[in-house]
Amino acid sequence: MIISLLALPLTLIGMQQRIAERLTGRVSPDVAALVTQLGTAAAARGLPVDPMIQKAIEGSAKGIPSERVVTAVRLVAMQLDTAAAALREGGLVGDTLMIAAGEFAITAGLSANDITALARTKASASALTVGLRVAGTLAALGVPPAETIGLVSATLRSGQPAESLLLLPAHVQSEMAKGITPAQAAAGLERAAAAQARHGPPPNRGQPPPHPAPPPHPSPPPHP
Amino acid sequence: MSEHAFHPLVKQLLDGDITLADLPAELRAEGEEAVRLLAGVDRRPVELPAVSRRVMREIASRPARSAWRRVMQPREIRLRVRPWLLAPALAIAAALILWIGHAAPVTQASFVTVRFVLVAPEAREVSLAGTFNQWDAHATPLVRTSPNGVWTATLTLPAGQHQYAFVVDGARWVPDPGAPAVDDGFGRRNSVLTL
Repeated sequence: MIISLLALPLTLIGMQQRIAERLTGRVSPDVAALVTQLGTAAAARGLPVDPMIQKAIEGSAKGIPSERVVTAVRLVAMQLDTAAAALREGGLVGDTLMIAAGEFAITAGLSANDITALARTKASASALTVGLRVAGTLAALGVPPAETIGLVSATLRSGQPAESLLLLPAHVQSEMAKGITPAQAAAGLERAAAAQARHGPPPNRGQPPPHPAPPPHPSPPPHP
Repeated sequence: MSEHAFHPLVKQLLDGDITLADLPAELRAEGEEAVRLLAGVDRRPVELPAVSRRVMREIASRPARSAWRRVMQPREIRLRVRPWLLAPALAIAAALILWIGHAAPVTQASFVTVRFVLVAPEAREVSLAGTFNQWDAHATPLVRTSPNGVWTATLTLPAGQHQYAFVVDGARWVPDPGAPAVDDGFGRRNSVLTL
């Protein structure tokens, strides 16, 4: 116990140095100072620091004024806290990867309740981390939160491998290309996943529900 | 000092192994001469007080060598190898390597190869910046692959989630029109890639 108490400040000092090293020469000194402070405090709470560092570097690379970069980094820190709390509400103490995935899902438009709902699927930690990333990606595609959580939850409960989860956005995009709304596409996929959970996997196990092959990702885009 | 080639028995006499009486009669005279010469030698210890003090002081001033230094001090080791023993030794080493390899398989991070495409006929240069290259707008240039303005880059990325954007002509940040996108917190959009 005493050793742990003595080791904690040393760990935090090491974290401060690592954050400062990553930011040196990439962001302004005032942004670096704030991110180091926020990151060290976040690490002490068991939160990942990489999303904050990435946001600071991204803002500086894009030529954003320091004040706005600081605001964006603060927002990321808040969302990390929200994601961690939502996972705890679902009965999980998330690792840093899972919390970062939850933060991304929030950025993409999902709520703390949505994250809690996914945490309650009792999926394995690695599957849930992938599930949170995929949920965020589906939300980024325009799938409403209810359909997103329904589809990802059903897929997680069906016991399909993580590869099936990762294919969901491409399947939704494929359906959207045919003129179906994101919500309808997700609902159709959810029904298929639920049926699979009830009746077991189809003969071509490991493949997603019966839909056309997804387009290559990222697909060749139209003219910008 | 003159050289004396004494008889071996006389040498034994000088060494104290035998006495004068043990010598044969013809060697007695030689033995007595040798004893007489030996008695003439000044056997007092040589006194070199200044040198002794200096040597002892030098020894005392040297730090004691630590066990670590003693271990690490280079030494010459001579190894004699019997060639016929090499074959079983190599066989045992190979078996150990194979056993260790099976016992602890190397965990490899999963990587996925992705092709990025942007159609930008008017662009002079296009690059890719994202979480995978620390948002460095110059790190990953795209190559113009057709005269009608198709720019491509093929990257091998670690499994996980990546956010990115194209940088056109070094200044304009453009999200990938073919990929989902999220708010970047700065009023723009980042494309999302989940692998």
